[in-house]
Amino acid sequence: MDSLIKNPDRQANGGEDTIGDENTILIKRTLRSGQRLHYDGNVVVMGDVNPGAEIVASGNVIIMGQLRGVVHAGASGNEKAIVMSFRLAPTQLRIANHITRPPDGDSPETGHPEIASIKNGVVTIEPFHASADRQHR
Amino acid sequence: MSEVIVVTSGKGGVGKTTTTANLGTGLAAAGHKVVLVDADIGLRNLDVVMGLENRIVYDITNVTDGQIPYKKALIKDKRYDGLYLLPAAQTKDKTAVSPEQMRELCDELRQEFEYVIIDCPAGIEQGFKNAIAGADRAVVVTTPEVSAVRDADRIIGLLEANELREPKLIVNRLRYNMVKAGDMMSIDDIIDILAIELLGVVPEDEMVVITTNRGETVVQDDKSRSGQAYRNIVRRIKGEQVPLMDLQEGGFLTRLRKFMGLK
Ligand SMILES: Nc1ncnc2c1ncn2[C@@H]1O[C@H](COP(=O)(O)OP(=O)(O)O)[C@@H](O)[C@H]1O
Ligand SMILES: [Mg+2]
Repeated sequence: MDSLIKNPDRQANGGEDTIGDENTILIKRTLRSGQRLHYDGNVVVMGDVNPGAEIVASGNVIIMGQLRGVVHAGASGNEKAIVMSFRLAPTQLRIANHITRPPDGDSPETGHPEIASIKNGVVTIEPFHASADRQHR
Repeated sequence: MSEVIVVTSGKGGVGKTTTTANLGTGLAAAGHKVVLVDADIGLRNLDVVMGLENRIVYDITNVTDGQIPYKKALIKDKRYDGLYLLPAAQTKDKTAVSPEQMRELCDELRQEFEYVIIDCPAGIEQGFKNAIAGADRAVVVTTPEVSAVRDADRIIGLLEANELREPKLIVNRLRYNMVKAGDMMSIDDIIDILAIELLGVVPEDEMVVITTNRGETVVQDDKSRSGQAYRNIVRRIKGEQVPLMDLQEGGFLTRLRKFMGLK
């Protein structure tokens, strides 16, 4: 956060570790079954994304809650897009043109945020650690 | 002060009509003046559940069409003086009433009654929109099944979009043994998804079917667990703090928690 404020140029140009030059929308509620959000940019949800709800975004999707619905990040083809949530248990997860679903059965609660991204051509889910994540991006 | 409460669910057959009848009877038994409105037009059955079918002369569409004053269509309950039913039409469809007409009707009824309880049809179409149009509060009924909970979630979203904020949840037909065995969603599982306040839990109970077949309501039955559950819900509707952790409901909730912890 600090670095963003100190380096306004980087923010404006959308450097590698900033959110980019896309728009970002903040949703301050839970998306319930049957509710859809299509957005040209990044999406931040302060709430859950329930089963039967759907988010399609051209940018990144960050959910400050549980993801149990369908999310498509990087929907216009951006393979660098990520999906992050306090609990990643999506019905289906799509990044760019990669489509995945979790293995059948209960997905365990890990107790820490998780991040999904494309690594070596496959959607990979990892625990999110702020410092480690900064290193390998 | 009067309140218009709509009983909704999304999925059919989860217990809206049963809930409406029991809440209404329970509130009337507590001395309140109550009217039950059957908004499930075309599929009326609140009158059957209340055992009042053979008294129907007029129905809700005769009132909203302006043919008769609502008082003429009201049917007085057999047991409680303060309890009335405004029956649905059996022969017309859901477009026979408009949201605006429903709003006017509710405002008229609230002059006379402390509680107006509306039995909503299943689904999210016009009948649902009509039923919620005049309501102040909503109760959402679900059974512990994935599909029912999914539909309840959809309904909660629609209620919120229609300014009916903070709907309250009733979980109906819970079977403790199945939850214990991990074969049925637990209350915690349901609340985890729906994230709304729990108004009560009604167990699966054959007394519901037995009383319904007699045109009675289980809330009047002192011995049954489902009757106790409905009486607790009635008190919560009235604003009383009745803990879920009491003998009837709490017993199993604590057991459930323990069970969950073992997993
Ligand atoms: N707690 C319960 N235990 C057993 N049967 C129930 C219970 N609640 C409802 N039922 C039965 O389920 C059926 C559907 O209930 P109903 O109230 O008509 O649902 P809805 O109005 O939502 O369609 C009825 O036959 C009713 O007697
Ligand atoms: Mg019904």
